[in-house]
Amino acid sequence: MKSIAQRGNSDFYSGLLLVVVAVVALLYIRTLTIGTVLEMGPGYFPLGLALILLGMGLVMIVKGVTTEGVSVGRLHLRPLFFVLLSFVAFGLLVERAGLVIAILVQVGLSHFASRETTWLASAITGGLLAIASSVVFVWLLKIPVSVLP
Amino acid sequence: MMDIFAGLGHGFSIAATPLNLLFCLVGAVCGTLIGVLPGLGPVATISLLLPATYALDPIGAIIMLAGIYYGAQYGGSTTAILVNIPGESTSVVTAIDGYKMAQQGRAGEALAIAAIGSFIAGCFGTVVIALLGPPLALMTQKFASPDYFSLMVLGLVSAVVLANGSAFRAVAMIFLGLLLGMVGMDINTGEARMTFGLIELSDGINFVALVMGLFGVAEVISNLENVSTRIVNHSKINSIWPSFKVLRGAWGAVTRGTLLGTLFGILPGGGATIASFSSYALEKRVSKTPERFGNGAIEGVAGPESANNAAAQTSFVPLLTMGIPTSATMALLVGALTLHGIAPGPTIISRQPDLFWGLIASMFLGNAMLVIINLPMIGIWVRLLNVPYRILYLVILVVCAIGVFSVNNSSFDIYMTVGFTALGYILRKLDAEPAPLLMGFVLGPMVEENFRRSLITSHGDPMVFLQRPISLTLLLLSAALLISIVMPSISKRRGEVFQE
Repeated sequence: MKSIAQRGNSDFYSGLLLVVVAVVALLYIRTLTIGTVLEMGPGYFPLGLALILLGMGLVMIVKGVTTEGVSVGRLHLRPLFFVLLSFVAFGLLVERAGLVIAILVQVGLSHFASRETTWLASAITGGLLAIASSVVFVWLLKIPVSVLP
Repeated sequence: MMDIFAGLGHGFSIAATPLNLLFCLVGAVCGTLIGVLPGLGPVATISLLLPATYALDPIGAIIMLAGIYYGAQYGGSTTAILVNIPGESTSVVTAIDGYKMAQQGRAGEALAIAAIGSFIAGCFGTVVIALLGPPLALMTQKFASPDYFSLMVLGLVSAVVLANGSAFRAVAMIFLGLLLGMVGMDINTGEARMTFGLIELSDGINFVALVMGLFGVAEVISNLENVSTRIVNHSKINSIWPSFKVLRGAWGAVTRGTLLGTLFGILPGGGATIASFSSYALEKRVSKTPERFGNGAIEGVAGPESANNAAAQTSFVPLLTMGIPTSATMALLVGALTLHGIAPGPTIISRQPDLFWGLIASMFLGNAMLVIINLPMIGIWVRLLNVPYRILYLVILVVCAIGVFSVNNSSFDIYMTVGFTALGYILRKLDAEPAPLLMGFVLGPMVEENFRRSLITSHGDPMVFLQRPISLTLLLLSAALLISIVMPSISKRRGEVFQE
């Protein structure tokens, strides 16, 4: 697993994150009416927030570059990737293929997120989850999704 | 005084309906469950169950969600004592002496004292809510918008105090949350803001998707990174009935812990975790034989366990009387109330007496249920520890996905969850806690509304926040709180508390 701990200090990356968010927000806020203190437009308050965020982000970047700080925690991409992938799959499938298939695919993908899972246990868990969710969510709580395709 | 008895009577008539009793029980059982299981906290669980409460009526939903929170305080002590794994951060100090007691064959004693102390503290905390609630709400009703704005500033500052790690970063997280809270319709003009043209965002970012991503799923991923520890065996429990001598020894600690916790729960920046740490420190200081601490002192279990329960209970005071959440869990409950169409604020008691008194009455009933759930049935909970995480996490993920989907029956919210999970994961790696972000997000729209209204009434003069005595007091309090964190001596001690 690749680690960026050697390269980065968490202040720097936190600052970078804030600056990126602030800049994206500012680009959008440009299209809003700002107004004046007396007559604040929709953009007034967000503009203030985004500017503060930008300022704080810049301070953190400077701090990160100039001082020795805590380094970024080790990134484990395997659980992150498979868990996120399993959610995307669930989102794509639930309305098209029904709840049962969406759940089975989600369990199948998130199975890879951990190294400790066994196929048998995951398969049984997935099957039970599909049945239980169909009963609880579709039959009892009446979520408008079809169980099967 | 009569009003309180009338209110409580009314509350019991609501809380004791079969359906609400059931919700209370479900909440208490779920709370115990997640308290026992390490790696699944109340914030994640409440966000997980939030969508399921849509179908319920608001009172039942809040009764259940509240039960999860205070129930977790009971459950957390069980594993701390028996296997030296605190199920919750609030039970970390309980493990020190509790586990030692268990090794000495006194597990039953420790568990019983923890449960009895929790029960006494929980009931006392609930009485305090009933006593303080109505007068505080009346006082808050006199607040004008500048006062509200300052009150929210105080609430946000308390999120900084609660956050672990750098205060500067916590403040940045608050601003990030406030900015995210701006997404959606502008209250005054109805214009869409920062929605990036997405129709799904016109009502704002879905609260459940945000919480589920930041706390639920991101937490699962963090847990998956660590190799799980299997609990091979745990200490035997012999008698759960403590002797008179033990009870007498614990009595003082329970009383002190209860009072300390009650106070910490109400104060902004307090909360159950800090209450339990402070109680442990206090017990060690007042004890004539401090050397017993760390070697199985009953006071080291009785004090912190009482303190965390009292604080869990009284942290409802700012929420119910002023509509201000003082912790991430309370912010979740604000979200829950809003989703059910109830605006949290000082009018809750007068406009929703059923909710306020029903919730209080349910807390008495819930605490009583918890003693029964925890003491005689302790064996069942301990066995739950044997459910391996490699199965548990699959269940959590599927429930998360269905839960998020069911809010609006839209896959868009699931993709939002994916985004917030990634954000939550990155923030954890950067040592930035997502809790202050959540507080900012929840309070964002209210902060803006009161800010704008204040400046309209003052004709654009920002001094209005300093001219009104209430507002000035609240701002001074916030400043004092903020300075106290930044001060090196105190921040060092705070660091030690979190490190232990």
